[in-house]
Amino acid sequence: MKEKRKLGIFGRLQRTPKEKWKKEEFSELEYEPTTVKELLTEMKDISELIIDLAYSAVLFDNEEIAEEVRYLDVRMDKLNYDIRMMAMMAARAKDDAEQLAGILQVAEAAESISNAAGDIVSLLKKEKTGPILPKILKEADEQLFRIKVSNQSKACDKKIGDLKVETKTGMRILVIRRDECWIYNPQSDTTIQANDWLISRGTDEGYEELNKFLQGEMEVLE
Amino acid sequence: MTSKAVEDIVLEIKDKSELMIDLAYSSILYDNETIAKEVYDLEDLIDDLYKSLQRKTLEQVENKKLSVEDALTVLRLAEAAEQIADAAQEIADVELRDVELHPILKISVRDSDVVFTRVKVEPQSVLCDKTLGDIKLGSETGMYIRAIRHGDKWLYGPDKHSKVNSGDVLFAKGPEDGEKHLLALAAGKTKEI
Repeated sequence: MKEKRKLGIFGRLQRTPKEKWKKEEFSELEYEPTTVKELLTEMKDISELIIDLAYSAVLFDNEEIAEEVRYLDVRMDKLNYDIRMMAMMAARAKDDAEQLAGILQVAEAAESISNAAGDIVSLLKKEKTGPILPKILKEADEQLFRIKVSNQSKACDKKIGDLKVETKTGMRILVIRRDECWIYNPQSDTTIQANDWLISRGTDEGYEELNKFLQGEMEVLE
Repeated sequence: MTSKAVEDIVLEIKDKSELMIDLAYSSILYDNETIAKEVYDLEDLIDDLYKSLQRKTLEQVENKKLSVEDALTVLRLAEAAEQIADAAQEIADVELRDVELHPILKISVRDSDVVFTRVKVEPQSVLCDKTLGDIKLGSETGMYIRAIRHGDKWLYGPDKHSKVNSGDVLFAKGPEDGEKHLLALAAGKTKEI
Protein backbone atom coordinates (compact mmCIF):
# COMPACT_ATOMS: atom_id res chain seq x y z
CA MET A 1 0.00 0.00 0.00
CA LYS A 2 2.89 2.29 0.82
CA GLU A 3 4.39 1.70 -2.61
CA LYS A 4 1.13 2.50 -4.29
CA ARG A 5 0.84 5.80 -2.49
CA LYS A 6 4.32 6.80 -3.44
CA LEU A 7 3.58 6.26 -7.09
CA GLY A 8 0.90 8.85 -6.67
CA ILE A 9 2.75 12.09 -6.35
CA PHE A 10 6.37 11.80 -5.36
CA GLY A 11 9.47 10.48 -6.97
CA ARG A 12 8.44 10.74 -10.55
CA LEU A 13 9.92 12.79 -13.32
CA GLN A 14 7.75 15.75 -14.04
CA ARG A 15 7.68 19.13 -15.62
CA THR A 16 5.98 21.72 -13.52
CA PRO A 17 3.92 23.65 -16.05
CA LYS A 18 3.50 27.30 -15.31
CA GLU A 19 0.57 27.93 -13.02
CA LYS A 20 -0.01 24.23 -12.50
CA TRP A 21 -1.38 25.09 -9.09
CA LYS A 22 -4.14 27.14 -10.67
CA LYS A 23 -5.25 24.18 -12.69
CA GLU A 24 -5.33 22.13 -9.53
CA GLU A 25 -7.19 24.81 -7.64
CA PHE A 26 -9.95 25.24 -10.18
CA SER A 27 -10.35 21.63 -11.18
CA GLU A 28 -13.53 19.91 -10.10
CA LEU A 29 -13.42 18.26 -6.76
CA GLU A 30 -13.88 14.62 -7.28
CA TYR A 31 -14.64 12.32 -4.46
CA GLU A 32 -12.04 9.61 -4.43
CA PRO A 33 -12.32 7.14 -1.65
CA THR A 34 -8.94 6.99 0.05
CA THR A 35 -8.36 5.89 3.58
CA VAL A 36 -7.85 8.44 6.32
CA LYS A 37 -4.51 6.84 7.02
CA GLU A 38 -3.26 7.32 3.46
CA LEU A 39 -4.46 10.90 3.41
CA LEU A 40 -2.83 11.73 6.73
CA THR A 41 0.45 10.06 5.81
CA GLU A 42 0.62 12.01 2.58
CA MET A 43 -0.18 15.22 4.41
CA LYS A 44 2.55 14.62 6.93
CA ASP A 45 5.07 13.85 4.20
CA ILE A 46 4.16 16.97 2.27
CA SER A 47 4.29 19.10 5.43
CA GLU A 48 7.91 18.08 5.96
CA LEU A 49 9.03 18.30 2.34
CA ILE A 50 7.33 21.58 1.59
CA ILE A 51 9.28 23.56 4.22
CA ASP A 52 12.60 22.43 2.79
CA LEU A 53 11.40 23.13 -0.74
CA ALA A 54 10.27 26.60 0.24
CA TYR A 55 13.61 27.48 1.79
CA SER A 56 15.40 25.95 -1.25
CA ALA A 57 13.36 28.12 -3.61
CA VAL A 58 14.34 31.22 -1.67
CA LEU A 59 17.95 30.22 -1.16
CA PHE A 60 18.59 29.35 -4.79
CA ASP A 61 16.27 32.04 -6.09
CA ASN A 62 14.39 29.43 -8.09
CA GLU A 63 10.93 30.18 -9.42
CA GLU A 64 10.27 26.59 -10.56
CA ILE A 65 10.68 25.13 -7.09
CA ALA A 66 8.46 27.93 -5.81
CA GLU A 67 5.87 26.82 -8.32
CA GLU A 68 5.98 23.27 -6.95
CA VAL A 69 5.52 24.64 -3.44
CA ARG A 70 2.39 26.48 -4.61
CA TYR A 71 1.13 23.31 -6.22
CA LEU A 72 1.73 21.23 -3.08
CA ASP A 73 0.05 23.92 -1.02
CA VAL A 74 -3.08 23.67 -3.15
CA ARG A 75 -2.91 19.89 -3.08
CA MET A 76 -2.75 20.05 0.68
CA ASP A 77 -6.01 22.03 0.77
CA LYS A 78 -7.64 19.24 -1.18
CA LEU A 79 -6.26 16.51 1.01
CA ASN A 80 -7.49 18.40 4.03
CA TYR A 81 -10.95 18.62 2.51
CA ASP A 82 -10.96 14.92 1.68
CA ILE A 83 -9.83 13.90 5.14
CA ARG A 84 -12.60 15.93 6.75
CA MET A 85 -15.12 14.19 4.57
CA MET A 86 -13.69 10.76 5.32
CA ALA A 87 -13.61 11.47 9.03
CA MET A 88 -17.24 12.52 9.08
CA MET A 89 -18.27 9.36 7.39
CA ALA A 90 -16.24 7.27 9.81
CA ALA A 91 -17.74 8.71 12.99
CA ARG A 92 -20.53 6.64 14.47
CA ALA A 93 -20.41 7.50 18.14
CA LYS A 94 -19.08 10.17 20.48
CA ASP A 95 -15.88 8.24 21.15
CA ASP A 96 -15.18 7.97 17.42
CA ALA A 97 -15.81 11.65 16.99
CA GLU A 98 -13.42 12.58 19.79
CA GLN A 99 -10.63 10.53 18.37
CA LEU A 100 -11.26 11.65 14.81
CA ALA A 101 -11.21 15.27 15.96
CA GLY A 102 -7.57 14.71 16.92
CA ILE A 103 -6.78 13.44 13.43
CA LEU A 104 -8.43 16.46 11.86
CA GLN A 105 -6.46 18.78 14.11
CA VAL A 106 -3.18 17.24 12.99
CA ALA A 107 -4.32 17.46 9.36
CA GLU A 108 -5.22 21.10 9.87
CA ALA A 109 -1.78 21.75 11.35
CA ALA A 110 -0.10 20.09 8.37
CA GLU A 111 -2.15 22.35 6.14
CA SER A 112 -1.07 25.46 8.09
CA ILE A 113 2.53 24.39 7.58
CA SER A 114 2.01 24.29 3.83
CA ASN A 115 0.43 27.74 3.97
CA ALA A 116 3.51 29.02 5.80
CA ALA A 117 5.66 27.48 3.06
CA GLY A 118 3.52 29.31 0.50
CA ASP A 119 4.22 32.56 2.38
CA ILE A 120 7.94 31.85 2.30
CA VAL A 121 8.02 31.44 -1.48
CA SER A 122 5.99 34.61 -1.93
CA LEU A 123 9.07 36.42 -0.62
CA LEU A 124 10.70 35.40 -3.87
CA LYS A 125 8.16 36.97 -6.16
CA LYS A 126 7.45 40.38 -4.77
CA GLU A 127 10.69 41.95 -3.81
CA LYS A 128 14.04 41.29 -5.32
CA THR A 129 15.47 40.95 -1.88
CA GLY A 130 19.14 40.60 -2.56
CA PRO A 131 21.40 38.48 -0.46
CA ILE A 132 19.89 38.77 3.01
CA LEU A 133 17.93 35.49 2.90
CA PRO A 134 20.77 33.32 1.60
CA LYS A 135 23.00 34.95 4.21
CA ILE A 136 20.62 33.92 6.98
CA LEU A 137 19.92 30.42 5.69
CA LYS A 138 23.59 29.58 5.19
CA GLU A 139 24.17 29.69 8.93
CA ALA A 140 21.68 26.93 9.79
CA ASP A 141 22.86 23.66 11.38
CA GLU A 142 21.47 21.61 8.58
CA GLN A 143 21.81 23.43 5.32
CA LEU A 144 20.54 23.09 1.81
CA PHE A 145 23.08 22.35 -0.90
CA ARG A 146 23.06 22.14 -4.66
CA ILE A 147 25.37 19.66 -6.39
CA LYS A 148 25.81 18.75 -10.05
CA VAL A 149 26.49 15.11 -10.89
CA SER A 150 29.63 14.64 -12.99
CA ASN A 151 29.62 11.95 -15.68
CA GLN A 152 32.79 10.66 -13.98
CA SER A 153 30.84 9.79 -10.84
CA LYS A 154 30.15 6.20 -9.88
CA ALA A 155 26.69 7.34 -8.86
CA CYS A 156 25.54 7.59 -12.48
CA ASP A 157 22.73 5.20 -13.39
CA LYS A 158 22.54 3.86 -9.84
CA LYS A 159 19.52 3.89 -7.56
CA ILE A 160 19.53 6.20 -4.57
CA GLY A 161 18.52 3.30 -2.33
CA ASP A 162 21.40 1.12 -3.56
CA LEU A 163 23.89 3.93 -3.03
CA LYS A 164 22.50 4.44 0.50
CA VAL A 165 23.11 8.15 0.14
CA GLU A 166 21.09 9.13 3.16
CA THR A 167 22.38 6.56 5.62
CA LYS A 168 26.00 7.05 4.56
CA THR A 169 26.16 10.82 4.36
CA GLY A 170 23.07 12.03 6.18
CA MET A 171 22.20 14.01 3.06
CA ARG A 172 18.54 13.82 2.21
CA ILE A 173 17.93 14.42 -1.48
CA LEU A 174 14.92 16.69 -1.83
CA VAL A 175 14.88 17.41 -5.53
CA ILE A 176 16.57 16.23 -8.71
CA ARG A 177 16.63 18.43 -11.75
CA ARG A 178 17.17 16.61 -15.03
CA ASP A 179 17.31 18.95 -18.04
CA GLU A 180 13.92 20.62 -18.00
CA CYS A 181 12.30 18.08 -15.70
CA TRP A 182 12.16 17.79 -11.94
CA ILE A 183 11.82 14.91 -9.53
CA TYR A 184 10.56 16.00 -6.14
CA ASN A 185 11.23 13.85 -3.11
CA PRO A 186 13.00 11.09 -5.07
CA GLN A 187 12.47 7.60 -3.71
CA SER A 188 14.92 4.76 -3.16
CA ASP A 189 14.32 3.36 -6.66
CA THR A 190 15.01 6.69 -8.37
CA THR A 191 18.25 6.58 -10.37
CA ILE A 192 20.84 9.32 -10.44
CA GLN A 193 22.09 10.31 -13.89
CA ALA A 194 25.04 12.28 -15.19
CA ASN A 195 24.43 16.03 -15.30
CA ASP A 196 21.54 15.87 -12.81
CA TRP A 197 21.38 18.71 -10.33
CA LEU A 198 20.56 17.58 -6.81
CA ILE A 199 19.26 19.73 -4.01
CA SER A 200 19.81 18.08 -0.69
CA ARG A 201 19.74 18.83 2.98
CA GLY A 202 22.33 17.90 5.57
CA THR A 203 25.49 18.91 7.41
CA ASP A 204 28.72 20.38 6.01
CA GLU A 205 30.52 17.08 6.49
CA GLY A 206 27.83 15.14 4.70
CA TYR A 207 27.90 17.64 1.87
CA GLU A 208 31.66 17.36 1.42
CA GLU A 209 31.50 13.60 1.17
CA LEU A 210 28.55 13.52 -1.20
CA ASN A 211 30.03 16.28 -3.32
CA LYS A 212 33.31 14.38 -3.77
CA PHE A 213 31.39 11.26 -4.70
CA LEU A 214 29.19 13.04 -7.22
CA GLN A 215 32.15 14.87 -8.73
CA GLY A 216 33.80 11.49 -9.29
CA GLU A 217 36.64 12.29 -6.87
CA MET A 218 35.64 9.43 -4.61
CA GLU A 219 34.83 5.90 -5.75
CA VAL A 220 32.37 4.87 -3.05
CA LEU A 221 30.51 6.39 -0.15
CA GLU A 222 31.85 5.23 3.17
CA MET B 1 23.66 46.33 18.04
CA THR B 2 24.99 44.77 14.85
CA SER B 3 22.99 43.41 11.98
CA LYS B 4 24.20 39.95 13.04
CA ALA B 5 21.81 39.94 15.95
CA VAL B 6 18.78 40.12 13.68
CA GLU B 7 20.00 37.31 11.46
CA ASP B 8 20.81 35.14 14.46
CA ILE B 9 17.31 35.53 15.83
CA VAL B 10 15.62 34.66 12.53
CA LEU B 11 17.77 31.59 12.26
CA GLU B 12 16.98 30.55 15.80
CA ILE B 13 13.26 30.92 15.09
CA LYS B 14 13.63 28.86 11.92
CA ASP B 15 15.66 26.07 13.55
CA LYS B 16 13.44 25.95 16.63
CA SER B 17 10.27 25.82 14.55
CA GLU B 18 11.60 22.78 12.70
CA LEU B 19 12.62 21.13 15.96
CA MET B 20 9.08 21.74 17.23
CA ILE B 21 7.56 19.93 14.27
CA ASP B 22 9.82 16.93 14.87
CA LEU B 23 9.06 16.93 18.59
CA ALA B 24 5.33 17.32 17.99
CA TYR B 25 5.19 14.32 15.65
CA SER B 26 7.36 12.32 18.09
CA SER B 27 5.04 13.15 20.97
CA ILE B 28 2.20 11.59 19.03
CA LEU B 29 4.17 8.56 17.95
CA TYR B 30 5.29 7.77 21.50
CA ASP B 31 2.20 9.13 23.23
CA ASN B 32 4.59 11.28 25.24
CA GLU B 33 3.20 14.24 27.15
CA THR B 34 6.60 15.51 28.31
CA ILE B 35 7.68 16.10 24.74
CA ALA B 36 4.34 17.67 23.89
CA LYS B 37 4.74 20.09 26.81
CA GLU B 38 8.19 21.02 25.59
CA VAL B 39 6.62 22.01 22.28
CA TYR B 40 4.41 24.41 24.24
CA ASP B 41 7.43 25.89 26.03
CA LEU B 42 9.27 26.31 22.75
CA GLU B 43 6.28 28.10 21.32
CA ASP B 44 6.49 30.63 24.17
CA LEU B 45 10.18 31.04 23.48
CA ILE B 46 9.54 31.64 19.79
CA ASP B 47 6.89 34.25 20.60
CA ASP B 48 9.46 36.12 22.71
CA LEU B 49 12.11 35.80 20.02
CA TYR B 50 9.71 37.04 17.39
CA LYS B 51 8.80 40.09 19.46
CA SER B 52 12.41 41.00 20.12
CA LEU B 53 13.17 40.44 16.44
CA GLN B 54 10.48 42.90 15.44
CA ARG B 55 11.89 45.52 17.77
CA LYS B 56 15.50 45.00 16.72
CA THR B 57 14.65 45.01 13.05
CA LEU B 58 12.79 48.28 13.36
CA GLU B 59 15.61 49.81 15.39
CA GLN B 60 18.06 48.89 12.67
CA VAL B 61 15.89 50.40 10.02
CA GLU B 62 15.73 53.58 12.07
CA ASN B 63 19.50 53.61 12.38
CA LYS B 64 19.79 53.02 8.64
CA LYS B 65 21.64 49.77 9.15
CA LEU B 66 18.98 47.74 7.37
CA SER B 67 16.97 48.65 4.30
CA VAL B 68 13.19 48.59 4.46
CA GLU B 69 13.16 45.77 1.89
CA ASP B 70 15.54 43.60 3.91
CA ALA B 71 13.65 44.32 7.11
CA LEU B 72 10.38 43.23 5.51
CA THR B 73 11.97 40.06 4.19
CA VAL B 74 13.38 39.19 7.60
CA LEU B 75 10.08 39.82 9.34
CA ARG B 76 8.05 37.86 6.81
CA LEU B 77 10.38 34.90 6.97
CA ALA B 78 10.15 34.95 10.75
CA GLU B 79 6.38 35.22 10.54
CA ALA B 80 6.20 32.10 8.38
CA ALA B 81 8.46 30.22 10.79
CA GLU B 82 6.25 31.41 13.64
CA GLN B 83 3.22 29.97 11.84
CA ILE B 84 5.05 26.67 11.53
CA ALA B 85 5.69 26.78 15.27
CA ASP B 86 1.99 27.38 15.88
CA ALA B 87 1.15 24.38 13.74
CA ALA B 88 3.55 22.26 15.78
CA GLN B 89 1.78 23.39 18.91
CA GLU B 90 -1.57 22.37 17.41
CA ILE B 91 -0.16 18.88 16.84
CA ALA B 92 1.21 18.68 20.38
CA ASP B 93 -2.17 19.85 21.66
CA VAL B 94 -3.75 16.65 20.34
CA GLU B 95 -1.38 14.64 22.50
CA LEU B 96 -2.13 16.72 25.60
CA ARG B 97 -5.89 16.30 25.35
CA ASP B 98 -7.56 13.85 27.59
CA VAL B 99 -8.64 11.68 24.69
CA GLU B 100 -6.91 8.52 23.67
CA LEU B 101 -5.07 8.99 20.37
CA HIS B 102 -6.61 7.40 17.34
CA PRO B 103 -4.36 4.52 16.24
CA ILE B 104 -4.21 5.96 12.73
CA LEU B 105 -2.28 8.96 14.05
CA LYS B 106 0.59 6.83 15.20
CA ILE B 107 0.57 4.70 12.08
CA SER B 108 0.64 7.73 9.80
CA VAL B 109 3.55 9.31 11.63
CA ARG B 110 5.40 6.04 11.59
CA ASP B 111 4.62 5.00 8.04
CA SER B 112 6.22 7.90 6.23
CA ASP B 113 9.37 8.83 4.37
CA VAL B 114 11.14 10.08 7.45
CA VAL B 115 10.85 7.91 10.53
CA PHE B 116 11.17 8.88 14.15
CA THR B 117 12.78 6.48 16.53
CA ARG B 118 13.52 6.15 20.22
CA VAL B 119 16.38 4.10 21.56
CA LYS B 120 18.11 3.51 24.87
CA VAL B 121 21.90 3.64 24.99
CA GLU B 122 23.24 0.49 26.65
CA PRO B 123 26.45 0.57 28.78
CA GLN B 124 28.36 -1.49 26.21
CA SER B 125 27.49 0.89 23.36
CA VAL B 126 30.27 2.79 21.59
CA LEU B 127 28.12 5.90 21.83
CA CYS B 128 28.64 6.19 25.61
CA ASP B 129 30.58 9.17 26.92
CA LYS B 130 30.98 10.70 23.48
CA THR B 131 29.70 14.01 22.21
CA LEU B 132 27.40 14.15 19.22
CA GLY B 133 30.20 16.00 17.41
CA ASP B 134 32.52 13.03 17.98
CA ILE B 135 30.18 10.38 16.72
CA LYS B 136 28.75 12.35 13.78
CA LEU B 137 25.58 10.27 13.73
CA GLY B 138 23.96 12.61 11.23
CA SER B 139 26.51 12.24 8.49
CA GLU B 140 27.33 8.60 9.27
CA THR B 141 23.90 7.03 9.72
CA GLY B 142 21.51 9.69 8.43
CA MET B 143 19.87 9.83 11.86
CA TYR B 144 19.65 13.24 13.48
CA ILE B 145 19.20 13.33 17.26
CA ARG B 146 16.36 15.70 18.17
CA ALA B 147 16.15 15.06 21.90
CA ILE B 148 18.00 13.20 24.64
CA ARG B 149 16.46 12.01 27.89
CA HIS B 150 18.96 11.67 30.69
CA GLY B 151 17.22 10.22 33.73
CA ASP B 152 14.35 12.60 34.23
CA LYS B 153 16.15 15.47 32.53
CA TRP B 154 15.59 16.30 28.90
CA LEU B 155 17.78 17.96 26.34
CA TYR B 156 15.92 19.20 23.31
CA GLY B 157 17.66 20.04 20.05
CA PRO B 158 21.13 18.89 21.22
CA ASP B 159 24.21 20.23 19.43
CA LYS B 160 27.63 18.77 18.68
CA HIS B 161 28.84 19.47 22.23
CA SER B 162 26.03 17.43 23.80
CA LYS B 163 27.24 14.27 25.46
CA VAL B 164 25.64 10.84 25.26
CA ASN B 165 25.71 8.80 28.46
CA SER B 166 24.95 5.20 29.19
CA GLY B 167 21.24 4.83 29.94
CA ASP B 168 20.24 7.92 27.94
CA VAL B 169 17.26 7.65 25.65
CA LEU B 170 17.80 9.16 22.22
CA PHE B 171 14.97 10.49 20.05
CA ALA B 172 16.08 10.59 16.43
CA LYS B 173 14.78 11.27 12.98
CA GLY B 174 15.98 9.83 9.69
CA PRO B 175 15.59 7.16 7.01
CA GLU B 176 14.43 3.63 7.83
CA ASP B 177 17.82 2.03 7.05
CA GLY B 178 19.54 4.49 9.32
CA GLU B 179 17.24 3.49 12.15
CA LYS B 180 18.51 -0.10 12.17
CA HIS B 181 22.09 1.10 12.30
CA LEU B 182 21.35 3.44 15.19
CA LEU B 183 19.50 0.72 17.13
CA ALA B 184 22.45 -1.65 16.70
CA LEU B 185 24.91 1.03 17.80
CA ALA B 186 22.93 1.96 20.88
CA ALA B 187 22.53 -1.68 21.87
CA GLY B 188 26.29 -2.21 21.52
CA LYS B 189 25.77 -4.80 18.77
CA THR B 190 27.68 -2.75 16.24
CA LYS B 191 30.88 -1.04 17.23
CA GLU B 192 31.46 0.71 13.95
CA ILE B 193 29.75 3.99 13.42
